[in-house]
Amino acid sequence: MEEFRITFLPEHKAVYIDRGTDLLTAALKTGIHIYNSCGGEGVCGRCKVVVKKGIYITEDSGRISEKEREEGYVLACRTTPESDMEVLVPEESMLGDLEILTEEIKTTRLAGLYTPVEEIEEEHYKAALKIFKHGPLSTKIFLKLPKPTIDDNSGDADRLLREIKKQHKEINVIQMGLSNIKRLPRLLRESDWKVTATLGNRNKTTEVVLIEPGDRSRENFGVAVDIGTTTIVAYLVDLNSQKVLGTKASYNPQVDFGEDVISRIIFAQHEKGLEKLHHAVIDTVNSLIDNMIKEASLTLDDVTAVISAGNTTMTHLLLKIDPTQIRKDPYIPAVNFMPIIRASEAGIKINPRGLLMCLPCIGSYVGGDIVAGVLASGMYKIKDISLFIDLGTNGEVVLGNKEWLLACSTSAGPCFEGGGLTSGMRAMKGAIQNISIKNNFLEIETIGNLPPKGICGSGIVDIISELLKNKIIDRSGKIKENKICKVRDSEGAKELVLVEAKDSATLKDITIDENDIKNLMHSKGAIYTGIEVLLKEAGFNKSDIKHVFIAGGLGTALNIRSAINIGLLPDLPEKNFVFLGNTSVSGAKACLLSSEAMDYAEIIANKMTYLDLSTSSSFMNNYSAALFLPHTDIELFPSVKKLL
Amino acid sequence: MERLIEKWQDKINEVVIGSKKPIKIGGETGVYFIDGEDKCPNPPKVAMEVWDMEPEAWPDVLKSNFEKALRDPAEWAKMCVDKFSADLICLRLASIHPDLKNTSSQEAGKTLEKVLKAISVPLVIIGSSSPEKDNEVMAHCANVAKGENCLFGVATQENYKTLTAACLSAGHSIISEAPIDINIAKQLNILICDMQFPLDKIVIHHATGALGYGLEYTYSIMERTRLAGISGDKMLSMPMISFAGQEAWRTKEAKTYAKDTGVLWEIATCSAYLNSGADILVMNHPKSVKEIKKAISQLCDKN
Repeated sequence: MEEFRITFLPEHKAVYIDRGTDLLTAALKTGIHIYNSCGGEGVCGRCKVVVKKGIYITEDSGRISEKEREEGYVLACRTTPESDMEVLVPEESMLGDLEILTEEIKTTRLAGLYTPVEEIEEEHYKAALKIFKHGPLSTKIFLKLPKPTIDDNSGDADRLLREIKKQHKEINVIQMGLSNIKRLPRLLRESDWKVTATLGNRNKTTEVVLIEPGDRSRENFGVAVDIGTTTIVAYLVDLNSQKVLGTKASYNPQVDFGEDVISRIIFAQHEKGLEKLHHAVIDTVNSLIDNMIKEASLTLDDVTAVISAGNTTMTHLLLKIDPTQIRKDPYIPAVNFMPIIRASEAGIKINPRGLLMCLPCIGSYVGGDIVAGVLASGMYKIKDISLFIDLGTNGEVVLGNKEWLLACSTSAGPCFEGGGLTSGMRAMKGAIQNISIKNNFLEIETIGNLPPKGICGSGIVDIISELLKNKIIDRSGKIKENKICKVRDSEGAKELVLVEAKDSATLKDITIDENDIKNLMHSKGAIYTGIEVLLKEAGFNKSDIKHVFIAGGLGTALNIRSAINIGLLPDLPEKNFVFLGNTSVSGAKACLLSSEAMDYAEIIANKMTYLDLSTSSSFMNNYSAALFLPHTDIELFPSVKKLL
Repeated sequence: MERLIEKWQDKINEVVIGSKKPIKIGGETGVYFIDGEDKCPNPPKVAMEVWDMEPEAWPDVLKSNFEKALRDPAEWAKMCVDKFSADLICLRLASIHPDLKNTSSQEAGKTLEKVLKAISVPLVIIGSSSPEKDNEVMAHCANVAKGENCLFGVATQENYKTLTAACLSAGHSIISEAPIDINIAKQLNILICDMQFPLDKIVIHHATGALGYGLEYTYSIMERTRLAGISGDKMLSMPMISFAGQEAWRTKEAKTYAKDTGVLWEIATCSAYLNSGADILVMNHPKSVKEIKKAISQLCDKN
């Protein structure tokens, strides 16, 4: 087979690929992450690259404008080489730094919001301490065993268990593996009968996970991970003091294989697809853990437990379980309540005998991240009816109180994470997050106050709201001529220039076109309709909702007023809305620290009823009514009616 | 046993079309033809369709009624009024479509003038389903017919602004069309009203299906629209027009050799829509027109 050398600019990374291999695959091999949301199907048009040298075959795509074609733009996933090539990856196609700086983003993104960051975090911290009894997934206890004598002649292992039971009368069943027993005779004698036992809470029984010489009871750490479709976030937690020692976040590199869960499930069916997806997530989790450990000056052996919260597909891929059945009628996952296993079995590198727990899932499209979210919100403990909304790619909505919980997944799409938009980007530095029009002038606020690079989810919500208020777009999302923003034609659709090329970090205009607005309307319509259907199924009205909890990476910077103006959130008093930020990881953390919280997670998972919107007759009808700004029935949004 | 008669809180807008012999449609305060409920001050009307070119796809059984008049829209329109007692004429400017004759705005305007001169009944004017060309021609025609108070169509969610503006300035009424979707129908009415277009000059059209081709679906959407309108939804309280005739004649059944199948198909389709609340039925065959008119007068006389 003929091989060609492909060089990627501006980084000058080169790779040899066969004839017939596409440029997207080639880029991946060099470690360059090119933005794409369809998994290389040639649909999303995000993987644009510029051919500088070489002969190639490419497929025509409507995603490439005439002008771009002349400049040598092609879709990387649809282009194969016929000779050695030099390819430029433009800034807007780069996935950017893989690492998200959580702390930095948190502080800037939360500035000037309804609930300041410290408050949320502190309250959470306090709440977690208050609500749940401390009882981590794994506990270390220091034991001074009496030396055996001719009278006290219990075996080594029996002696160890006897002492544990003496100290912890509440423990009934204790298990210990053969490998630990084999190590005991030497270990006990060499450590002068002073050892530390790590007890793991494993599927309702207690297991002696690990025995170490000396007193190591203070070095007990765990990791809570949120495996999102788009982002992976990890917390390193001291299991004794309950303090968070470090946080790290990174993109889910599975994005290279498709932006939403469905395209990843499809990819998993490709040859070695499941393996690639599994490794993508495991490698990331391992490197996040590794980095946190190093920064806290610990070793991997000190980490004895990992807990993960993710949607059902993400949980399957983490465990390398084939997710195929999730998208096939009747949509049955391999497992909802995953037993606790050794982390090493899933490929996670911590103490080799450390445990991995996955938060239980509800069904194919509502997973452990939502269970964690409901746990973190506390809505399952109060009498009032609350609403929980996860503004992510899947857009899950939960309605309920301490007696019942009803959940659905609305497949909102990647809009709120900046996907599917002409100038969209994730909430990273330089992303436009808030916008306002004052005195016919557009004021833009970016994350980190840097020159604008693109628009993130909260930015797009703000933009649409402002455009609607200032009558730059009509209620169907069509752009009108106006005095504030430049309007121009872009391949059949009108577009607005928000930032001119000279002022942007990418030296390209930052624009929003009618298709972007339509995409957002589809996303917000799906979430709103999900809420409506849940209310209807449960027999309640909007006015019965006392609290609305909003979760998700975008949630923290979201302007509630704007979200109501565009009809994403129901028209309720702003004081009813509570931002919770990433509830997936905070819920997971609570479970890591308390077996009581974990019991609650199971209760929540058992209590929650999953409503499949695809079989709901009212969804489609309500949905098309929601594809308007804010809604076809303006009476549902009295506060917006006054504004328009 | 005493019968329960539903009381509705609102009424459908009355729309006046035409200038010489204006007609009034709408004004319902109940559901059509239901005993004791149908306060329908203005009985439904029948419009007959006239093309600005010979409709080649029409079966002979339909064409033969008009003979030579098919080549002269003015004569054709006159024939429909004088001979077949059409209440309105619906002029379809089919020839302006770029794929057909690509007739210019000026020529279309002249045809319109001739038709206007030939008849005194109100006129419905619709385009060729080529959005760009329609916009150009309809804007011109709206001006040509200024003061005649015609009903112009069709405005869709993707293409309503030009037609709305043209009708607004020339004082015509407008047909707002949605693809059998009550929400889109309402959204479009909101958008048209946002351009300061008067509510009592809008007539709703739900894209129609013939008998056996989605009739029930359109039927229930029209029924729901009417119920919403008389229940107080201002953005759905417009009279409705139905292009039922063209749909019936498009079916393969209507084109069979059995001579009356098409007529029966048109009658069945139109009488169904009559009951679902249509205020104007646009029809084709004189025989079915006669039958439907008879049905209307019988249904209305009953009370």
